[in-house]
Amino acid sequence: MSKSLMIVDDSATMRKIIMRTLQTAGLDISGTEEAGNGNEALEKLNASAVDIMLCDVNMPEMSGPELVTKVRELPSCSNTKIVMVSTESSQELIDDVLAKGANDFITKPFTPEKFQEKLSPFMN
Amino acid sequence: MIDEICLNEAVLAGAKEIFETMIFVNLEKSSEQDDIIEGDSLLGSITFKGGLEGCFAICCSVPCAKTIALNMLAMDLSEELSEAEISDAIGEVTNMVMGGIKSRILDAVGNIEVSIPIVTRGQELKNSLGEKASKALVKVKFDNEYIAELSMLYRESSE
Repeated sequence: MSKSLMIVDDSATMRKIIMRTLQTAGLDISGTEEAGNGNEALEKLNASAVDIMLCDVNMPEMSGPELVTKVRELPSCSNTKIVMVSTESSQELIDDVLAKGANDFITKPFTPEKFQEKLSPFMN
Repeated sequence: MIDEICLNEAVLAGAKEIFETMIFVNLEKSSEQDDIIEGDSLLGSITFKGGLEGCFAICCSVPCAKTIALNMLAMDLSEELSEAEISDAIGEVTNMVMGGIKSRILDAVGNIEVSIPIVTRGQELKNSLGEKASKALVKVKFDNEYIAELSMLYRESSE
């Protein structure tokens, strides 16, 4: 069954790279939303929840971990799977975002295989 | 305190990893004095604080930056990109290379917090951190043509 997905990253370049990587990974995605910051993401999620959210950590205005906390407060997103995508890879950070409600973590640089491995469990 | 040699190695290894996996080019270390960046260039910089504080920067010519951006986006080298798109790509490369450096020095310096990258355009751009700063500088080359200067200015944390 195909899934809806949102990419939240302040870099338009990175959003395009993630989009291309998802296509190469061959994951069954029905529609992809993009957001350049946390506020835009919340606005779009309030209008329509997605199955999977890919979220950067280090963003201006609202950090990725802050966004995760706010998304988890939205009843409509209780089933949304959140996967962080970041250059940051300290265990302290990973533990923190998982505790806040993220489901997994992908470290940059990434490959289509990595996306397949991390997202496949959420595709059923 | 981490030494300059270790940081040079971390900078080069971090850059090689990102350029090979996300930009699809092989990076070589350049030691040729003739390899200088001329004309308009872009400087992507990012600050960090924590176990070590300072600033990391990547500087390259505008044509080099455009090639990096086109490769990242898997576009044909003849295609056009806006200045904003090229700057965004260089900011993201700076961010990713800094992430690679951070993971390599984490055990030696402890955790460091990294800022959002900023990109500046101009000529003869230099990274600066004032007094008592040490510097790791690595010059790299790819496609036998493009040169980029990676500099890391740092000092022991004042916190």
